[in-house]
Amino acid sequence: MTKYLILRLLGIIPLLLVVLVIIFTLGHLAPGDPIEMMYESMETVVATEEMVERARARLGLDQPLYLQFIRYARNILRGDLGDSIVRSRPVLGMILKVFPISAQLGLLAFIVLVMTGIPLGILAASKQNTAVDYFIVGGSLFLRTVPVYVLAPLLFIILVLRLDVMNVPYGWRGISHPNVIMPTLMLILFPLAVVIRQMRIGILEVMDNDYVRTARAKGLRERQVILTHVMRNAITPVVTSLGLIVTGLITGSIFIEQIFGIPGYGNLFVTSLIQRDYPLMMGCTLFGAFLIMMSNLIVDFVYPFLDPRVTL
Amino acid sequence: MTNTTSNQESEQSSSETIQESLLGQLESQEFGLRGLWSDAFRRLLRNRLSLIGLIIVLCTYATAIVGPFLAPYDYLDQNLEQIALPPNTDHWLGTDDVGRDYFSRLLHAMRTAVLISILVPLLTLIIGVTLGSVSAYSGRTVDNTIMRLADIVMTIPTILFAALINASIAEPLEIVMGNLHEQTGWSFLTNTVYLDYLIVFSSLALISWPGEARLIRGQILSLREQEYVLAARAVGATTGQIMLKHLAPNALGPVIVSFTFSMSSAMILEASLSYLGIGIQPPGASLGSMINRSMSTWRTWPHLIAIPAIVLGIVTLAINFLGDGLNDALNPRQSGK
Repeated sequence: MTKYLILRLLGIIPLLLVVLVIIFTLGHLAPGDPIEMMYESMETVVATEEMVERARARLGLDQPLYLQFIRYARNILRGDLGDSIVRSRPVLGMILKVFPISAQLGLLAFIVLVMTGIPLGILAASKQNTAVDYFIVGGSLFLRTVPVYVLAPLLFIILVLRLDVMNVPYGWRGISHPNVIMPTLMLILFPLAVVIRQMRIGILEVMDNDYVRTARAKGLRERQVILTHVMRNAITPVVTSLGLIVTGLITGSIFIEQIFGIPGYGNLFVTSLIQRDYPLMMGCTLFGAFLIMMSNLIVDFVYPFLDPRVTL
Repeated sequence: MTNTTSNQESEQSSSETIQESLLGQLESQEFGLRGLWSDAFRRLLRNRLSLIGLIIVLCTYATAIVGPFLAPYDYLDQNLEQIALPPNTDHWLGTDDVGRDYFSRLLHAMRTAVLISILVPLLTLIIGVTLGSVSAYSGRTVDNTIMRLADIVMTIPTILFAALINASIAEPLEIVMGNLHEQTGWSFLTNTVYLDYLIVFSSLALISWPGEARLIRGQILSLREQEYVLAARAVGATTGQIMLKHLAPNALGPVIVSFTFSMSSAMILEASLSYLGIGIQPPGASLGSMINRSMSTWRTWPHLIAIPAIVLGIVTLAINFLGDGLNDALNPRQSGK
């Protein structure tokens, strides 16, 4: 068991390394020479050829590519993701400063997701092939397909302009302010379909087991059968799709934070795109990939406890 | 007693069904139809949602092909005296914030969306088929490497990755194209609109191949173990014949379905990139950039944002309905649940 966990933990190193290679390559392709940019920002200094060369040597930019990569990887392991070009501040600091806002919103969305997705999945499975089932599955697929930047403005037009029942909840005023309701509901739209689908399939598969028949035969009510016997085993597929859910939340946060003016991780990324701030862009991408890897790792760690039949 | 009679009955009925199916096959041969495909087509048409999807998709593609030729105005013509007009008889969908005819722009944006929704899945398919079959047919090391790489690409969040690729390869590609232009003298190579398309195509294909490669690899691995492949090999069929006659037709169903779904996801990804301001750049028209551009003015001119949003929503939904229907029609055994 411990051996498995350690192996899994070690397995993330090559993964991270390849991600680093990919991002480093893209960063290398990206336009703009960091040295020239540095001297451009210092308006009083006129850079001579010699000064540029010396700065290049100091930053190791004259070395072969693989040495540059090793330097880059080593810096990242030390927590140095480079400096933002536009704001000349450390990228990691910038990300960590705004990330708590996104994390709060993401966690809230996750709780709402579990509280709505799992019951809806159970409902759809227990009413399989009825109108209720079609409505839940079809509806969640509809909400998953239509991008949030299509849905949000249309909702604004209906709710704010036509019906005049609310105002646009713009900005961030803390997690307890009612402004978070709309962004949270929009944020769960994409992962909701994943949760409902996995829960529904899980329950339908478990339903065929003998022990479910036994539970029914001994006279348990259908409600008890599902809640005490089926649920426990059917929830595993939902847990394994945590990585997908986190991906959905990260992707969603990019659009939602921009639409609702929330100064979080997603908004930072959009700003970096608009300003073509490559180090910040690379840092954000790496951070997102790291989050997804971690959630996959959590799944791997939790999985054996949920389903003891899994042999390691 | 009852058992034997029911057995006889079922035998009788099964022989009847066999007869029927044989007759059906004969009939379809007479009319020159291929049984599998015509069956699938009939199943597809019976599904009402996917029929609606098919009709909408066909209409969209027809509009995208002929639309720009029929457009009442040039989609780039600005008229600063007629800014953000509501829909009227001169301008069917009104005009945008710099006085361009919105209907003409919409037609061009639909052409962009449709072009992306065909070319990106095609490119993805080519990469996927190549890597997937190499993975399935080569040894463990190569297989492992390709599949690990697929896993890794999948862990990087799609939009972030696509945006990063898009932003990084733009300038190098421009330089490459510029050099090509100097050597060949073809002027279209430096056309920024083509360049934008090329960048979006390549970045989207680069992030979406893993799913396709996995699918192809899985199909090959499972199909080549089938008895009919063994039988074909036993009677002396060559590998090429087996691939063309047995593997390809059987793998085609799932591939068509995944192609359809990647059509809608490519469309959405392009719109998302353009919405974030890094896809198709301003003179070119894209549904995503139309939505982005009118996002700040939705209060004053709601029609400017509603029109592209509704079009994008309907088209992607239609493609997904079609994909669901195709899935049921082409893989009837898998679509139980």
